[in-house]
Amino acid sequence: MKSMTDENQTWHPVALGVDVPAGVTRAVILNGTEIVLWRGADGQIRAWDDRCPHRGMRLSYGFVRGNSLNCLYHGWEYEGSSRCIRIPAHPDLEVPKTIKATAHAVHETGGLVWMNRSGTAASDPPAIAEGVPLISTAIDRPIGALRDLFRATSMHPAVIREDILDGLSLLLAMHPVSERKSMLHALTIGGSDAPADRKRYALAVRQLRQQAETMAEAA
Amino acid sequence: MLKLHDYVLSGSCYKVRLLLALLRLDYERVPVDFHPGRQHKSAVYFALNPLGQIPILEDGPLVLRDAQAILAHLANAYDPDKNWLPRDGRFGLIMMWLSFAGGELMALSAARMHDMLGYELDIETARANGRKALRILDDHLADRGIDGGQWIVGDAPTIADIACFPYVALSHDCGLGHEDYPAINLWQRRVRKLPGFVSMPGIPDYF
Amino acid sequence: MARTTDKAALDNWYVLGALGDFPTHTVKGARLLGADLIVRRAGVQFQVSDEVGAKLPVEQRYGHLWTTLGAPTRPIFAMPEWDEPDRRPVYCGAVRVRASGLRVVENFLDLAHFPYVHTDILGTESKPEVARYQVEHRADVDEVWATKCEFFQPKAAASADGGQMSQYMYRVVANPFLVMLYKTPPTAPNRWDVIALFVQPVEEDLSIAHPFMLVIDETSSDAELIAFQQMIFLQDRIVLENQRPRLLPLQPGRETPTRGDLSSVIYRRWLKEKNIRFGVEEPVRLAHA
Repeated sequence: MKSMTDENQTWHPVALGVDVPAGVTRAVILNGTEIVLWRGADGQIRAWDDRCPHRGMRLSYGFVRGNSLNCLYHGWEYEGSSRCIRIPAHPDLEVPKTIKATAHAVHETGGLVWMNRSGTAASDPPAIAEGVPLISTAIDRPIGALRDLFRATSMHPAVIREDILDGLSLLLAMHPVSERKSMLHALTIGGSDAPADRKRYALAVRQLRQQAETMAEAA
Repeated sequence: MLKLHDYVLSGSCYKVRLLLALLRLDYERVPVDFHPGRQHKSAVYFALNPLGQIPILEDGPLVLRDAQAILAHLANAYDPDKNWLPRDGRFGLIMMWLSFAGGELMALSAARMHDMLGYELDIETARANGRKALRILDDHLADRGIDGGQWIVGDAPTIADIACFPYVALSHDCGLGHEDYPAINLWQRRVRKLPGFVSMPGIPDYF
Repeated sequence: MARTTDKAALDNWYVLGALGDFPTHTVKGARLLGADLIVRRAGVQFQVSDEVGAKLPVEQRYGHLWTTLGAPTRPIFAMPEWDEPDRRPVYCGAVRVRASGLRVVENFLDLAHFPYVHTDILGTESKPEVARYQVEHRADVDEVWATKCEFFQPKAAASADGGQMSQYMYRVVANPFLVMLYKTPPTAPNRWDVIALFVQPVEEDLSIAHPFMLVIDETSSDAELIAFQQMIFLQDRIVLENQRPRLLPLQPGRETPTRGDLSSVIYRRWLKEKNIRFGVEEPVRLAHA
């Protein structure tokens, strides 16, 4: 089976879109780098380095107002493009255009938020089937351990499709957090939309989590 | 007049301060020099609470210890609409989560006391147990979300949410962020939007 | 981590705690600049010994226990307010922070965060402007002073009843981990309250802050004064623990100061001149702008 290493893979799934609604920040970690995801009133999702260029405060502690992300420390306001447009301590200052947060390419598709830190001209963002978001869960194992759980080939290096019974498929998007941790963002295609059934699907994902965590560490 | 023996940095006291604010109740706050004074372990305070802990609520002749018990008393005595502690099928579930808030979730309090005030304890175990408790709550909130529910029990906030909120929101104080807990991230924002919400140091006012 | 080799950091007097933090007739561990120390108290006598049992110099000053791992060229700084009879000393209790001690000091010097971190207490969002102030390095005592600082404060102190325009002065003494501020007390506008933060650098990214105050206040209880100061410091702590990098960057271009950050600009320049390395970020390769 052909496999793609993470170094080659530039797009990573980092959240379910519904987990970052308008007005909300969400801190995530991608391969050890702290990232802030946030969505403005315009519905646009952004993925930036989780660091304000002023004094290094994590922007994920900040607050979204309209289409701007404001840093908690001194209230510096960053518009959606990542440019700083207001410094409250100096209300009359025209903020130099060079002051900006570090933005990354981001794309929402298939109910997932994907980001690309490679900085090179971003390749085409992934195109996967549209699933219904189920749950997102952290797993205390590296991504390699997750891959070992699945035999199915994938529609994308990061996404495994597991066809279960009753016309239900689970889409499991794998997100490398660090050397010791990963996250699984799960969606469904087909199956039932009754809450009782969907909670059973969620339980199945958590059972995969438990399997991954109780597996012996790779030799 | 309600009287609360309180410490500004205590998450347990904050559970009570928060419900008092949400219920819009007036009260007298008696500051206790918890650190460095350890006033809660003084003879005067042991007489009020043999466990030597705060919060302690005085309501007329009634003296109550234990944040969870105090929340239940306030909801019982001062919420005639029974929103915060409904007496129907939700009652047992609320008790279950109150017990969790005063039990498993308190690993976060221990880890916080170690990281913040240098308390000597097994920090690795406290942090690991704290993470386990956070995961249990996150899984539960995700399931509630599947049900279309936004609160720990039922369709409206109850004292289950108030009891669990402080140490979850303060988990950063002991090095545990919410990156692993997407459902908690959304739930704690809902709590902070409740009318009358008050914050505490360690929980930024802006979000 | 073992004891640092950074001479600029070692050759200073540091606080290990308020005298009351060490119960009498006990032995307590302490960690300073990576070195594990033992503090023994017998009545009013203190002894501090290092990793190999050697006795270190010890001083009791301003109600605190001081020691050094090196050879300081200056005595412990002067604080004449200590001798004023109507002042209350308030020991606010040690707090651990997972951050470089230099970041802790720099945050203490900063005004612009008041409306956002200490909302409706030390500042309010409707009045965020930081007016020009003055900063100088006083070479004779090797201290950095910021003066003529002013900020509107809804609740400047525990005893405050309503808002005031607070006047501030800041002072970092020769040991750059020790900082204090002077501000106008609500009840005595012609004097200064002293609020100090004695930072004990434990490891490069771990510090213990010992907050201490000498205030003019006849009405507040100790518990109220301590609660107010702890509230402020714990509001800062969540910022301190979430600044990246954890160690203070001295390299140009790593961070972006503005005019309101003059204190921090002068402080960082002074740290470079002192060649302090403990708690300072190693230079990194910067991405192109």
